Order: sequence, then C-alpha cells, then structure tokens
Amino acid sequence: MPKTFKGGVHPNYNKFPDVPVTVIAPPDQVVIPLVQHIGAPNKPLVQVGDYVKMGQKIGENGDAPVSAPVHASVSGKVIAVEPRPHPLGDLIPAVVIENDHRDTPCTDLAPLTEEELKNGEAILQRMRDAGIVGMGGAMFPTAFKIKSGLGKVDTLIINGAECEPYLNGDHITMRTYPEQLLKGIECARIAAGLDKAYYGIEVNKQDAIDILNSFHPEKYGIEIVPEEVKYPQGSEKHQIKAITGREVKPGGLPAGVGCTVISTRTCYAIYQACYEGKPVIERIVTVAGSAMNQKANALTRVGTPLGYLAEQCGGYHDLRKVVLGGPMMGICATSLEAPTIKGTAGVLYFTKKEDRTVKNPTCIRCGKCTTVCPMHLQPCMMYMYYSKGDFEGMSRYHVTDCIECGSCSYNCPARMPLTHAFKTAKLMFQAKAAKEKAAAEAAAKEAGK
Amino acid sequence: MKNEKLVLDVAYQPQERTARSTSSIMLDVIIALIPASVWAVWQFGIQSLFLLVVSVSSCVFFEWGYRKLLHKSSSIGDLSAIVTGLMLAMTLPPTAPAWVAVIGCFFAIVIVKQLYGGIGKNFLNPALAGRAFLMASYATIMSSYAVPRSLKSTVDAISMATPLTYMYGGQEVPEFFTLRSVFLGTMPGTLGEVSALLLTIGGIYLIIRKVISWRIPLSFIGTVALVSLIAGSGTMDRGSWMLYNILCGGVILNGFFMATDYVTSPITARGQIIYGIGCGAITMLIRYFGSFPEGCSYAILIMNLCTWAIDKAFNNRQFGVSKKDVKAAKAAKKAAKEAAK
Repeated sequence: MPKTFKGGVHPNYNKFPDVPVTVIAPPDQVVIPLVQHIGAPNKPLVQVGDYVKMGQKIGENGDAPVSAPVHASVSGKVIAVEPRPHPLGDLIPAVVIENDHRDTPCTDLAPLTEEELKNGEAILQRMRDAGIVGMGGAMFPTAFKIKSGLGKVDTLIINGAECEPYLNGDHITMRTYPEQLLKGIECARIAAGLDKAYYGIEVNKQDAIDILNSFHPEKYGIEIVPEEVKYPQGSEKHQIKAITGREVKPGGLPAGVGCTVISTRTCYAIYQACYEGKPVIERIVTVAGSAMNQKANALTRVGTPLGYLAEQCGGYHDLRKVVLGGPMMGICATSLEAPTIKGTAGVLYFTKKEDRTVKNPTCIRCGKCTTVCPMHLQPCMMYMYYSKGDFEGMSRYHVTDCIECGSCSYNCPARMPLTHAFKTAKLMFQAKAAKEKAAAEAAAKEAGK
Repeated sequence: MKNEKLVLDVAYQPQERTARSTSSIMLDVIIALIPASVWAVWQFGIQSLFLLVVSVSSCVFFEWGYRKLLHKSSSIGDLSAIVTGLMLAMTLPPTAPAWVAVIGCFFAIVIVKQLYGGIGKNFLNPALAGRAFLMASYATIMSSYAVPRSLKSTVDAISMATPLTYMYGGQEVPEFFTLRSVFLGTMPGTLGEVSALLLTIGGIYLIIRKVISWRIPLSFIGTVALVSLIAGSGTMDRGSWMLYNILCGGVILNGFFMATDYVTSPITARGQIIYGIGCGAITMLIRYFGSFPEGCSYAILIMNLCTWAIDKAFNNRQFGVSKKDVKAAKAAKKAAKEAAK
C-alpha cells in the first residue's frame, strides 16, 4: 500500500514528463540576485568591469551559518551590481553579467576525492561552497539544515513527491540520472551521519521508482517508499508523517521528531557539487500554463529573465499572471525582467482563464476546507475569527499551525480567500509577538532603573 | 508580443481552484430532489406542481426583493433560494393553499435567512423553520393529507391519516400500507416525504457527488432504526416497526436533505456523527412521548441550535499533538492550579 496522510486534495496534475528537456540558450545578460536563500544576505565579491567565469563565486556572506553563496551561471563581464527586480518581489541587489557565450568554466571547485566522499565534514563544506539550498522552493541552506540536525536526527527523508501540478523536474531527474541521484542521496546521508535514507516518491512516477530500484538503492543505504498521489504529499511535515508516522509538534521543527527532509533536486545538486565540482547554476524549470503557446521542460541557467524564458519556450499570448513554482503554493512574479533563481522549479504563465475569484465570496459552511486540511484545522472557523480580528479565536483554532498549502482555498466552492487570510494572520501574530516582546523589554528596563 | 507596459496580476496562492462552486452544489441538490418532486406531482396531481412553483418562485422573489430593498449584492445566482423553496414545498401537504406556501417562504427567507445575514449565516434550517412556523400557525391545514392517486380506488375519502398516525395512535395500520407501498411512496403525506425510494436515490446522488457526506444521514437514520428496534411496540413485530419508522414521517427526506444543510450542521467528522445521533434520538423521543407522530423537523431544529456547541466540543485533533499530549497538558494545568491554591 502506498503511504500517505489524512486530508489533501487532487488537483488537475497537468504533468508532462515525456516532453523532452529543452536546453535554453543562456541570454545575453543574466541577472544573479545576491539573495537566493533564507538567511543572511550575501555581499558581492565582484565589481563592475570584472571578468567572471562560469561557476565562479560572485557573492557570499563570510561565515554567517545560515547563508549560501551564489555563483555566475555564464562567463562574461560584470556590467552592473545594483538592485534589480527579484522574482519573489521587491528590488534586491543583483550581479548583472554580460554573457560572452563562451561558458569558460571556473575550476575553483574540484570533484571530491574518494576519501572526501566518505567524510561528512568535507561533504558539508562542499554543500556550503557550492551554494546548495533547498531546491524544492524553500531555499533553506542545506548544509546548515543537515549540520543543525546532527545528533538529533535519526531519519533522513528525501522528498520525491513532486505533488505540485505541472512540475516535472524531479521526475525527469529520477528517470535520466538515477545513479547520480542515488549517489547524491548517499552523500547527504553520509553528511547527516546516518545509515539509511528513505526516498518517498508518489506512485504517479512508478516508472521512475522502477528505474531507481533497478540500480539497487540498498547499496547506497536508501529505501524507496511509494506514496499515494495527493497534494500536499511533498510538504515536509506530511513526508515525515507518511514515512515515519511521526507528527512534527506545533511550532516545532522536523529535527524535533528526529527527521530531516531534503528534496530530489537538491540531492542531484549535491551529486553535481561533490562528484563534478559544479555549483548550483542551472536546473530544470517547467514552463507551462494557459498563456504559453507550448509547454516545456527547460534546462535553464540561474538568472534567466522570465520574459526571455517564455520567448525561448515558444512565446505567450494574453498573459495576465506569472507564477513561480507550482500553482498551489507558487508566488506571483511582478515583473518579466525578474530572473529564475535556484528555487524556481517551474514558471507558469497564465491568462485570465484560471482566475476563478468572485466578487463577494460568502462562506456557506460546507466544511470542504476542514475535510481536506492536512493539518487537521478548521479553515472556515479560522477565517471567521480572522475577519473579526479576533486573536484569541484564531489561536483557539490554531491558525499558526497552517502550512499555507492552499488545499482549503483550492477546495472552497464559495471561493473564500482562506490561505491568503491565514498567511496574513500568521504575520499579524508575529507582529503582535514582536510588539509584546518589545513592551516586556521596555518594562524590564523601567524596572531596572 | 513584448509589451513593456504589461502589468501582471498578483494574487495569493493557490492560483488554481476547483471548478465546484456554490451554485453547482445547489444545482446538484435541486437535481437530487427532482425524482421525488415528479413522484409527488404524479401522486397528488397538478395542484402539487402549482405548490412547488409558487414556493420556489416566492422564495426567489423574497431573496431578490429583500436584498434589492436593502441595497445589498444580489444573491439569487447561488440558487440557494430555489433549494429553500423546493425543500419547503416538500414539507407541505399537497392540499395546502398557495398562500400558506408564500407565508412559509417569507418566514424562511426573510426572517430566518436574510435577517441574520443571508446564505451561510442563518442558524436554523430555513425550510424547516418555515414549516415549524406554519405548523404552529395553521395546524389543521398542515396536518390534513390528501389521498394519493394509487390509493383512490381503495380509499373513498378526500383526506386520510398517515401510517405513523395509526402506529402511534395505538391502532392497527391498515393493510394497504404494506412495507412495499410505503417504500415506493403510495401513501399520504407531505409532498416530499412519500417516496423513500426516490429520496434515497437523490441522497445517494448527493453523496456520490460529494455534496454531503454519509455521516449525518447514516447516523440519523441509524439511530432511528436502532431506537425503534430496541423500544419496539405492542402492535407490530420489531422488524417491521423499525422499517415503518424509517420509511414514514420524513426520516429519509430529513436525513438526506434537511439535516445535511451546510450552514446548520457541524463541520467536523465527529461532530456530524454526534449531530446525526442527536437528530435521530430526539425524533424518536418526540414520536414516543410527544404529541405528534413525525418529529423530524423539530429534532433537526433543536440540533441546529446545538451545532455551534458541537463544533466547539468536537474539534479535530491538532496535528502533532497526540491524545497523550492533551492528557499531559490537562494534568499539568490541574497540578498548577492546585499548587496555586
């Protein structure tokens, strides 16, 4: 029986892993944002006029533990270091490189030696040097994630669910580079100091499961766990639930229940970093959506502008919305000039057609949100308290447990903006906590006087 | 193709939504009620069709008029007023005059639904509240039942009593009320309560279409079955007593269509089962000890009032917090309280 969790939805998956990978020619100019991770922002290592090689480190933040450097994805001349539109919104400092179309490689990172490949410390250092972050979309620095779990974590889980509609990158990677992928997972496992890793894959990728199994994953200390096809199976908490039966405590981290979850694409990046000495400068980006003339699985360099990407993949029409990631959790881009980054698994170009919002949404209390909530929440009740600004009511219904997967909004026949509300509510709680903390500190100071 | 001035839309996730909408759900309820309505028209003649039309159109009219008068957004597009009209007509006896239906619709739509804020805000099922209002105001009209077409050759009268009246009046049930006839619907009653078969088909359609879950109908009807089986009666063997109790008096109509009204029933799975059991138990209490034989509508209205409390009491288990954790937290709280003393 494929493993799973309680709740979840079945959106139209619209996947197309059989469309062959298109290699996107790098554009004349790439824009590499200095922030492509969660944590301390990077400082530029290059100046305007410098010549950089492909794979050269161009931004880092010294020794800040929660940080990941960025690398040039093409070779060429730096023509600007300035704030540019970031795909996740806002203007953020970026290095703009004029491509010389030679792809002169940088050899700073050599492949790890046999011994180093068995040394967790060396692998962790390499992950850090290669700028590896959670490439499922969260972009949390992987080296820090594994390091902080050392001693606490007894189970390493690799996330191969790829439960978001449209996205195919993980599936294609599993089929095309099974051995490399298993080696990458082995590296992550060694770095985490564990004997075994579990690889959870949804059964809509049965062909990939068969291919991976034919390469004897047990040799690498890996067990493949087939999982039911359901969104959000790829959520960290629900991978842990499905595979180990453990539940992450409210407000807690996966490490709290002895688990670390890493995505498929991250493991492939670990392989490339360790065995080929290649930093994260390209990935498969699924390009699709109703506004696209064609759909594509595009091998894309980091820093490719979204407009250019769409044109290279066959062009678009009646464009209204650009979504980074999958349609369920993806974030809307505000500019076609914004580039793809390490965490961009897909770019969806939509027309007005997908827009199902209504003018005066009214909850009919059908409870369809409650049925699908993978966190066992009651979204309609949370929304009611949210719309009144009732903090006590919201916390009684555990609004801060929401993982913002979007299942409730997806399933809502009344089209209530549920996920939107809870995202805002969580920010409200954060702001309130910060305010209370500041007030308490001020009071303590007063008392001290 | 490249448009420099292109301003992209920005929306919060998710970017995709199910095609299911409020109006499509309401449409499914209407579809599910059609077979039973057609049966009612066939059994009780053209007058019942007239009653259905008047009821539906006055509900829509009141819904439209109220919101127009108060300058609110129109809500007749969600089809919920049609459903209320249809449901209310289902609870009327075929001989009820049209003005009774109009008054019931006014009470249901304006007093029960719109005054509390419209769809999603009412705490009583509008159709049942309308019926309860009519029962209290026009008891005679509401409890005289016409003879159905299929019994016209056997019974020579204008109106007749329902099987439940005989059963709870301590009388023998006439032999033309066989189990088969009450199942198929050749018996007197309100428009919508007669054909258990067609109502069950409609209910199953709703479950298949995921409009309702099985929990409320099953726990409601199951409780009625269990209580009548255990309590029994002197006049009949236990098995048939139970079946008559389920098939007559609107248990099927109320179990599948009325009790499952979204707004007035609990949301959590456990809550729905408790609510269904409550509906069934109160129905049986009214039948055994109350002054009239049906009881379903009042049972549901009473449970409607408990919905809020049930939802609060039977909240889902929080993800990441096991039963053990909850117990431990409670114990710690108690200890802290005692320590404070």
